[in-house]
Amino acid sequence: MANETAPTANTQLFRPGYHGHNQISARTLGFWLYMLSDALLFTALFASYAVLDTPMNAAGGPVASQIVNPIEGFWQTIAVLGSVTCYSLATVAMKNGKRGGTAVGIIAAIVLALVFLAFGVNDLATLAAHGDGMDRSGYLSAYFVLILTHAIHMGVGILWMLVMLVQIPLFGFNDMVVARMLNLRMFWQFQATIWVCLYVYVYMIGA
Amino acid sequence: MAGSHSDPLAHPEVRQGSAMRYIAGFVSTVVLMGAALIVTMRHDLPYQSFVELVGGLAALALFSQATLFYGLDISRAQIWKGVSLILTLPLFIITVGLTVWMFQSLNQRTMVMPTSAAAASQPTLLQ
Repeated sequence: MANETAPTANTQLFRPGYHGHNQISARTLGFWLYMLSDALLFTALFASYAVLDTPMNAAGGPVASQIVNPIEGFWQTIAVLGSVTCYSLATVAMKNGKRGGTAVGIIAAIVLALVFLAFGVNDLATLAAHGDGMDRSGYLSAYFVLILTHAIHMGVGILWMLVMLVQIPLFGFNDMVVARMLNLRMFWQFQATIWVCLYVYVYMIGA
Repeated sequence: MAGSHSDPLAHPEVRQGSAMRYIAGFVSTVVLMGAALIVTMRHDLPYQSFVELVGGLAALALFSQATLFYGLDISRAQIWKGVSLILTLPLFIITVGLTVWMFQSLNQRTMVMPTSAAAASQPTLLQ
Protein backbone atom coordinates (compact mmCIF):
# COMPACT_ATOMS: atom_id res chain seq x y z
CA MET A 1 0.00 0.00 0.00
CA ALA A 2 2.92 2.33 0.69
CA ASN A 3 3.87 2.41 -3.02
CA GLU A 4 0.38 3.45 -4.17
CA THR A 5 -0.28 7.08 -5.00
CA ALA A 6 -3.32 8.81 -3.53
CA PRO A 7 -6.37 8.71 -5.83
CA THR A 8 -7.15 11.91 -7.70
CA ALA A 9 -9.94 13.09 -9.97
CA ASN A 10 -8.07 11.45 -12.86
CA THR A 11 -7.63 8.07 -11.18
CA GLN A 12 -8.79 5.25 -13.42
CA LEU A 13 -10.67 2.35 -11.86
CA PHE A 14 -9.93 0.10 -14.81
CA ARG A 15 -7.43 0.70 -17.61
CA PRO A 16 -7.84 -1.47 -20.70
CA GLY A 17 -4.54 -3.00 -21.77
CA TYR A 18 -2.81 -2.60 -18.39
CA HIS A 19 -1.22 -5.99 -17.77
CA GLY A 20 -1.67 -5.69 -14.00
CA HIS A 21 -5.38 -6.27 -14.52
CA ASN A 22 -6.74 -9.52 -15.77
CA GLN A 23 -8.87 -8.19 -18.61
CA ILE A 24 -11.07 -11.26 -18.96
CA SER A 25 -11.75 -11.72 -15.23
CA ALA A 26 -12.60 -8.03 -14.79
CA ARG A 27 -15.04 -8.14 -17.68
CA THR A 28 -16.75 -11.37 -16.64
CA LEU A 29 -17.17 -10.27 -13.02
CA GLY A 30 -18.56 -6.90 -14.17
CA PHE A 31 -20.99 -8.63 -16.49
CA TRP A 32 -22.00 -11.06 -13.74
CA LEU A 33 -22.91 -8.10 -11.51
CA TYR A 34 -24.95 -6.62 -14.36
CA MET A 35 -26.78 -9.95 -14.67
CA LEU A 36 -27.65 -9.95 -10.99
CA SER A 37 -29.24 -6.53 -11.45
CA ASP A 38 -31.06 -7.88 -14.51
CA ALA A 39 -32.30 -10.73 -12.31
CA LEU A 40 -33.73 -8.13 -9.93
CA LEU A 41 -35.67 -6.67 -12.87
CA PHE A 42 -37.21 -10.09 -13.42
CA THR A 43 -37.86 -10.40 -9.69
CA ALA A 44 -39.91 -7.21 -9.83
CA LEU A 45 -41.86 -8.57 -12.81
CA PHE A 46 -42.51 -11.86 -10.99
CA ALA A 47 -43.72 -9.91 -7.96
CA SER A 48 -46.08 -7.88 -10.18
CA TYR A 49 -47.31 -11.07 -11.82
CA ALA A 50 -47.97 -12.65 -8.42
CA VAL A 51 -50.02 -9.61 -7.40
CA LEU A 52 -52.05 -9.44 -10.61
CA ASP A 53 -52.66 -13.19 -10.90
CA THR A 54 -56.18 -13.11 -9.41
CA PRO A 55 -59.65 -13.43 -11.01
CA MET A 56 -60.33 -9.83 -9.90
CA ASN A 57 -57.42 -8.56 -11.99
CA ALA A 58 -58.43 -10.74 -14.92
CA ALA A 59 -61.44 -8.38 -15.21
CA GLY A 60 -63.62 -11.02 -16.83
CA GLY A 61 -60.87 -12.03 -19.23
CA PRO A 62 -58.89 -15.27 -19.21
CA VAL A 63 -56.84 -16.36 -16.18
CA ALA A 64 -53.60 -18.33 -16.24
CA SER A 65 -55.22 -21.78 -16.35
CA GLN A 66 -57.09 -20.78 -19.53
CA ILE A 67 -54.10 -19.53 -21.51
CA VAL A 68 -51.04 -21.57 -20.50
CA ASN A 69 -50.21 -25.04 -21.75
CA PRO A 70 -47.62 -26.84 -19.56
CA ILE A 71 -46.92 -29.48 -22.22
CA GLU A 72 -46.14 -26.89 -24.89
CA GLY A 73 -44.09 -25.06 -22.27
CA PHE A 74 -42.07 -28.25 -21.76
CA TRP A 75 -41.08 -28.24 -25.46
CA GLN A 76 -40.00 -24.65 -25.01
CA THR A 77 -37.99 -25.75 -21.96
CA ILE A 78 -36.19 -28.38 -24.03
CA ALA A 79 -35.54 -25.84 -26.81
CA VAL A 80 -34.07 -23.18 -24.52
CA LEU A 81 -32.00 -25.67 -22.52
CA GLY A 82 -30.80 -27.25 -25.78
CA SER A 83 -29.81 -23.83 -27.07
CA VAL A 84 -27.90 -23.06 -23.87
CA THR A 85 -26.15 -26.43 -24.02
CA CYS A 86 -25.18 -25.92 -27.69
CA TYR A 87 -23.73 -22.48 -26.93
CA SER A 88 -21.90 -23.83 -23.87
CA LEU A 89 -20.45 -26.62 -26.03
CA ALA A 90 -19.35 -23.92 -28.49
CA THR A 91 -17.23 -22.44 -25.69
CA VAL A 92 -15.73 -25.91 -25.11
CA ALA A 93 -14.73 -25.90 -28.80
CA MET A 94 -13.28 -22.42 -28.21
CA LYS A 95 -11.26 -23.86 -25.30
CA ASN A 96 -9.76 -26.32 -27.78
CA GLY A 97 -9.07 -23.49 -30.26
CA LYS A 98 -11.54 -24.84 -32.86
CA ARG A 99 -13.19 -21.96 -34.72
CA GLY A 100 -15.35 -24.25 -36.86
CA GLY A 101 -16.72 -26.14 -33.88
CA THR A 102 -17.41 -22.88 -32.09
CA ALA A 103 -19.36 -21.56 -35.08
CA VAL A 104 -21.39 -24.79 -35.39
CA GLY A 105 -22.32 -24.63 -31.69
CA ILE A 106 -23.40 -21.00 -32.01
CA ILE A 107 -25.50 -21.67 -35.11
CA ALA A 108 -27.23 -24.62 -33.40
CA ALA A 109 -27.90 -22.40 -30.39
CA ILE A 110 -29.46 -19.73 -32.64
CA VAL A 111 -31.71 -22.28 -34.39
CA LEU A 112 -33.02 -23.70 -31.10
CA ALA A 113 -33.51 -20.19 -29.72
CA LEU A 114 -35.61 -19.32 -32.78
CA VAL A 115 -37.72 -22.47 -32.19
CA PHE A 116 -38.26 -21.34 -28.59
CA LEU A 117 -39.24 -17.83 -29.70
CA ALA A 118 -41.58 -19.17 -32.38
CA PHE A 119 -43.60 -21.03 -29.70
CA GLY A 120 -43.79 -17.95 -27.49
CA VAL A 121 -44.63 -15.46 -30.23
CA ASN A 122 -47.30 -17.82 -31.61
CA ASP A 123 -48.93 -18.03 -28.16
CA LEU A 124 -49.00 -14.28 -27.68
CA ALA A 125 -50.18 -13.59 -31.25
CA THR A 126 -53.01 -16.13 -30.85
CA LEU A 127 -54.13 -14.51 -27.62
CA ALA A 128 -54.03 -11.03 -29.16
CA ALA A 129 -55.94 -12.25 -32.22
CA HIS A 130 -58.76 -13.42 -29.91
CA GLY A 131 -58.99 -9.99 -28.30
CA ASP A 132 -56.99 -11.04 -25.25
CA GLY A 133 -54.05 -8.72 -25.80
CA MET A 134 -51.95 -7.07 -23.13
CA ASP A 135 -54.47 -4.23 -22.70
CA ARG A 136 -57.37 -6.62 -21.94
CA SER A 137 -56.71 -6.85 -18.20
CA GLY A 138 -54.15 -6.25 -15.49
CA TYR A 139 -53.41 -9.96 -15.41
CA LEU A 140 -52.77 -10.15 -19.15
CA SER A 141 -50.56 -7.03 -18.97
CA ALA A 142 -48.37 -8.76 -16.36
CA TYR A 143 -48.36 -11.98 -18.39
CA PHE A 144 -47.40 -10.31 -21.68
CA VAL A 145 -44.72 -8.13 -20.06
CA LEU A 146 -43.12 -11.09 -18.28
CA ILE A 147 -43.06 -13.29 -21.40
CA LEU A 148 -42.01 -10.45 -23.72
CA THR A 149 -39.20 -9.26 -21.43
CA HIS A 150 -37.72 -12.75 -21.50
CA ALA A 151 -38.26 -12.97 -25.28
CA ILE A 152 -36.49 -9.63 -25.80
CA HIS A 153 -33.54 -10.93 -23.78
CA MET A 154 -33.49 -13.99 -26.04
CA GLY A 155 -33.56 -11.72 -29.10
CA VAL A 156 -30.60 -9.71 -27.78
CA GLY A 157 -28.72 -12.96 -27.17
CA ILE A 158 -29.35 -14.10 -30.76
CA LEU A 159 -28.10 -10.74 -32.05
CA TRP A 160 -25.00 -11.04 -29.86
CA MET A 161 -24.33 -14.55 -31.22
CA LEU A 162 -24.56 -13.25 -34.80
CA VAL A 163 -21.98 -10.58 -33.90
CA MET A 164 -19.69 -13.28 -32.47
CA LEU A 165 -20.06 -15.32 -35.67
CA VAL A 166 -18.55 -12.32 -37.47
CA GLN A 167 -15.90 -11.44 -34.87
CA ILE A 168 -14.43 -14.93 -34.42
CA PRO A 169 -13.21 -15.28 -38.04
CA LEU A 170 -12.23 -11.58 -38.12
CA PHE A 171 -10.19 -11.36 -34.91
CA GLY A 172 -9.63 -14.96 -33.79
CA PHE A 173 -9.71 -15.85 -30.10
CA ASN A 174 -8.10 -12.71 -28.72
CA ASP A 175 -8.76 -11.23 -25.25
CA MET A 176 -11.78 -9.23 -26.36
CA VAL A 177 -13.46 -12.02 -28.29
CA VAL A 178 -12.87 -14.57 -25.52
CA ALA A 179 -14.27 -12.20 -22.87
CA ARG A 180 -17.36 -11.57 -25.02
CA MET A 181 -17.85 -15.28 -25.59
CA LEU A 182 -17.65 -15.95 -21.84
CA ASN A 183 -20.05 -13.10 -21.05
CA LEU A 184 -22.48 -14.35 -23.68
CA ARG A 185 -22.26 -17.84 -22.13
CA MET A 186 -23.33 -16.42 -18.77
CA PHE A 187 -26.05 -14.32 -20.42
CA TRP A 188 -27.40 -17.29 -22.34
CA GLN A 189 -27.34 -19.61 -19.32
CA PHE A 190 -29.15 -16.87 -17.43
CA GLN A 191 -32.00 -17.05 -19.96
CA ALA A 192 -32.45 -20.75 -19.14
CA THR A 193 -32.48 -19.92 -15.42
CA ILE A 194 -35.18 -17.28 -15.91
CA TRP A 195 -37.18 -19.65 -18.10
CA VAL A 196 -37.15 -22.38 -15.42
CA CYS A 197 -38.60 -19.85 -12.92
CA LEU A 198 -41.13 -18.61 -15.49
CA TYR A 199 -42.15 -22.10 -16.59
CA VAL A 200 -42.68 -23.36 -13.06
CA TYR A 201 -44.47 -20.28 -11.78
CA VAL A 202 -46.59 -19.29 -14.77
CA TYR A 203 -47.08 -22.55 -16.69
CA MET A 204 -47.21 -25.08 -13.86
CA ILE A 205 -48.49 -23.35 -10.75
CA GLY A 206 -50.86 -21.34 -12.93
CA ALA A 207 -52.17 -24.37 -14.84
CA MET B 1 -9.51 -12.37 -9.60
CA ALA B 2 -7.41 -14.88 -11.39
CA GLY B 3 -3.89 -14.04 -12.45
CA SER B 4 -2.93 -12.56 -15.81
CA HIS B 5 -2.54 -14.85 -18.82
CA SER B 6 -0.91 -14.10 -22.15
CA ASP B 7 -3.04 -16.74 -23.90
CA PRO B 8 -6.74 -15.89 -23.43
CA LEU B 9 -7.67 -19.54 -23.96
CA ALA B 10 -5.61 -20.43 -20.87
CA HIS B 11 -7.90 -18.31 -18.68
CA PRO B 12 -9.50 -20.41 -15.89
CA GLU B 13 -13.02 -19.49 -16.98
CA VAL B 14 -12.26 -20.83 -20.45
CA ARG B 15 -10.57 -23.95 -19.06
CA GLN B 16 -13.50 -24.72 -16.75
CA GLY B 17 -15.77 -25.40 -19.75
CA SER B 18 -16.60 -29.11 -19.93
CA ALA B 19 -18.86 -30.93 -22.37
CA MET B 20 -19.79 -33.56 -19.78
CA ARG B 21 -20.80 -30.91 -17.25
CA TYR B 22 -22.98 -29.02 -19.74
CA ILE B 23 -24.69 -32.18 -20.96
CA ALA B 24 -25.26 -33.21 -17.32
CA GLY B 25 -26.77 -29.75 -16.69
CA PHE B 26 -29.13 -30.19 -19.66
CA VAL B 27 -30.20 -33.71 -18.68
CA SER B 28 -30.69 -32.94 -14.98
CA THR B 29 -32.77 -29.82 -15.66
CA VAL B 30 -34.94 -31.57 -18.28
CA VAL B 31 -35.52 -34.54 -15.93
CA LEU B 32 -36.46 -32.27 -13.01
CA MET B 33 -38.79 -30.18 -15.17
CA GLY B 34 -40.28 -33.38 -16.60
CA ALA B 35 -40.99 -34.61 -13.07
CA ALA B 36 -42.60 -31.26 -12.23
CA LEU B 37 -44.71 -31.51 -15.40
CA ILE B 38 -45.96 -34.99 -14.41
CA VAL B 39 -46.92 -33.68 -10.96
CA THR B 40 -48.71 -30.74 -12.61
CA MET B 41 -50.66 -32.88 -15.08
CA ARG B 42 -51.83 -35.39 -12.45
CA HIS B 43 -53.72 -32.72 -10.45
CA ASP B 44 -53.96 -35.08 -7.45
CA LEU B 45 -52.20 -33.04 -4.76
CA PRO B 46 -53.62 -30.31 -2.53
CA TYR B 47 -52.60 -26.85 -3.81
CA GLN B 48 -50.13 -26.19 -0.96
CA SER B 49 -48.36 -29.55 -1.35
CA PHE B 50 -48.32 -29.13 -5.12
CA VAL B 51 -46.66 -25.69 -4.86
CA GLU B 52 -44.10 -26.99 -2.38
CA LEU B 53 -43.23 -30.05 -4.49
CA VAL B 54 -42.98 -28.18 -7.79
CA GLY B 55 -41.09 -25.33 -6.09
CA GLY B 56 -38.64 -27.86 -4.62
CA LEU B 57 -38.03 -29.43 -8.03
CA ALA B 58 -37.45 -25.95 -9.49
CA ALA B 59 -34.98 -25.15 -6.69
CA LEU B 60 -33.08 -28.35 -7.49
CA ALA B 61 -33.04 -27.41 -11.19
CA LEU B 62 -31.67 -23.95 -10.33
CA PHE B 63 -28.99 -25.48 -8.09
CA SER B 64 -28.08 -27.87 -10.90
CA GLN B 65 -27.72 -24.93 -13.30
CA ALA B 66 -25.62 -22.94 -10.82
CA THR B 67 -23.12 -25.76 -10.43
CA LEU B 68 -23.20 -27.43 -13.86
CA PHE B 69 -23.91 -24.53 -16.24
CA TYR B 70 -22.41 -21.50 -14.45
CA GLY B 71 -19.75 -23.64 -12.77
CA LEU B 72 -20.05 -21.70 -9.51
CA ASP B 73 -17.68 -22.98 -6.84
CA ILE B 74 -15.24 -21.62 -4.30
CA SER B 75 -12.23 -21.56 -6.62
CA ARG B 76 -10.29 -18.31 -6.83
CA ALA B 77 -11.67 -17.59 -10.30
CA GLN B 78 -15.31 -18.03 -9.23
CA ILE B 79 -15.53 -17.08 -5.57
CA TRP B 80 -16.73 -13.49 -6.09
CA LYS B 81 -19.51 -14.59 -8.38
CA GLY B 82 -20.73 -16.97 -5.68
CA VAL B 83 -20.42 -14.33 -2.96
CA SER B 84 -22.30 -11.69 -4.98
CA LEU B 85 -25.04 -14.22 -5.80
CA ILE B 86 -25.45 -15.19 -2.14
CA LEU B 87 -25.65 -11.52 -1.18
CA THR B 88 -28.27 -10.88 -3.88
CA LEU B 89 -30.51 -13.90 -3.09
CA PRO B 90 -32.11 -12.22 -0.03
CA LEU B 91 -33.03 -9.27 -2.26
CA PHE B 92 -34.97 -11.61 -4.57
CA ILE B 93 -36.81 -13.15 -1.62
CA ILE B 94 -37.53 -9.78 0.01
CA THR B 95 -38.79 -8.26 -3.26
CA VAL B 96 -41.22 -11.06 -4.09
CA GLY B 97 -42.11 -11.97 -0.49
CA LEU B 98 -42.87 -8.47 0.74
CA THR B 99 -44.77 -7.53 -2.40
CA VAL B 100 -46.98 -10.61 -2.18
CA TRP B 101 -47.47 -10.13 1.57
CA MET B 102 -48.44 -6.46 1.17
CA PHE B 103 -50.91 -7.12 -1.60
CA GLN B 104 -52.32 -10.18 0.13
CA SER B 105 -53.18 -7.92 3.07
CA LEU B 106 -54.62 -5.33 0.70
CA ASN B 107 -56.56 -7.98 -1.17
CA GLN B 108 -58.14 -9.39 1.97
CA ARG B 109 -59.16 -5.96 3.29
CA THR B 110 -60.31 -4.15 0.17
CA MET B 111 -60.90 -6.53 -2.74
CA VAL B 112 -64.07 -8.23 -1.58
CA MET B 113 -64.89 -10.79 -4.24
CA PRO B 114 -68.45 -12.05 -4.83
CA THR B 115 -68.83 -15.51 -3.26
CA SER B 116 -69.69 -17.17 -6.60
CA ALA B 117 -66.61 -15.72 -8.32
CA ALA B 118 -64.38 -16.72 -5.41
CA ALA B 119 -65.73 -20.26 -5.43
CA ALA B 120 -65.21 -20.61 -9.17
CA SER B 121 -61.67 -19.31 -9.12
CA GLN B 122 -58.50 -21.34 -8.81
CA PRO B 123 -56.24 -20.61 -5.82
CA THR B 124 -53.28 -18.29 -6.39
CA LEU B 125 -50.53 -17.05 -4.12
CA LEU B 126 -52.72 -14.11 -3.07
CA GLN B 127 -55.57 -16.32 -1.92
